[in-house]
Amino acid sequence: MSKIKKKRVGFVLDMTPLVDITFLLLTFFMFTAKFKSQEESSERFVIKRPQTVADTAKVPEKDLVTIKIAVDTVSRDTAWYYSMLNEQDRTRLAAQMVALKFPEATPTTTQFKITDTTWLQTFVKESRTINQQAIFAIDADQNIKYRWVEHVMTAFRRYNATSFNFVTDKKQ
Amino acid sequence: MAGGGEGLGGGAKQKRGGTGKRKVKKRVGFRLDMTPLVDITFLLLTFFMLTTSMITPQTMEMKIPPQLEEKIEVKESELLTIRIRDDGKLFFNMGTDAPQPVKINELRKVVIDQNVSLRNRCIVVLKASSQVAYGAAVAVLDLLNAVEPEITERLRQNGIDKRERKFTVAPYEKTDAEEVAGL
Repeated sequence: MSKIKKKRVGFVLDMTPLVDITFLLLTFFMFTAKFKSQEESSERFVIKRPQTVADTAKVPEKDLVTIKIAVDTVSRDTAWYYSMLNEQDRTRLAAQMVALKFPEATPTTTQFKITDTTWLQTFVKESRTINQQAIFAIDADQNIKYRWVEHVMTAFRRYNATSFNFVTDKKQ
Repeated sequence: MAGGGEGLGGGAKQKRGGTGKRKVKKRVGFRLDMTPLVDITFLLLTFFMLTTSMITPQTMEMKIPPQLEEKIEVKESELLTIRIRDDGKLFFNMGTDAPQPVKINELRKVVIDQNVSLRNRCIVVLKASSQVAYGAAVAVLDLLNAVEPEITERLRQNGIDKRERKFTVAPYEKTDAEEVAGL
């Protein structure tokens, strides 16, 4: 029995749907990607957040004031890293801090490294003045001594920011 | 899209060519090699997919009482104090009772029972030593949050519809350290 074999010359596969989906995904990931600020990318610590089961609320995306507490991996010192999320607040805070002569403050600083409690209180006070709706969040490493968190809470209490957040991770 | 480009090119040639007869090239089965485009797209896609972190952090909402000048008097018998010692060990006591050591999973029952038997009036105070890891304090706070639904449910069974949560954090004083020392 003779069978005519079809010659498969110039076999072409339509790649259009593949390219469509790929582009769609690419656009999605490009738009949802959040880039770190210059200060954030130069920070020398990783925060291992405490893991909880009961929390469901997400970190707010507006009017947020983040206070990170972590140990520097190189110099081994603990510090508070203070930043405001809103662009407008951030510029105003930076300007205010330059005026108050905070060491190393420049008009473009987005994250301030604080090492003493007096400055910490000043920052909380100024943030409250700049944005009355400011929501505070403490993003601390789980191995940090509780004392560091206590100091922040004292500052909050003093300036009446009695409702705040602890940033946590979901327990797996 | 590339077809459009070719078309324009042809048009320009025609103008230059002037009056001479020109064969219009038939453009049958025109294909553009999409391979490099797809390569780059995949590369970028992989990059963005790998660098995106999908796990977003959550928050634990906290409310602490504001700084007050005068002292508020509370009934000692309604006060449930939870202490975290320097070494991370937990202790609890009701009112003026002596503190007793407790494991974190046993604390759950204590908190529920006290809140239910005191019918909403129980005040939970957390006193963590400043030397203790922040994670240990958050673990207790998480437990207190996690038992809330059960307390509400148990209170409802006892005829109380509204749950009023009373909770505060207090500094760990020297006297606190003395009370739990050697236990």
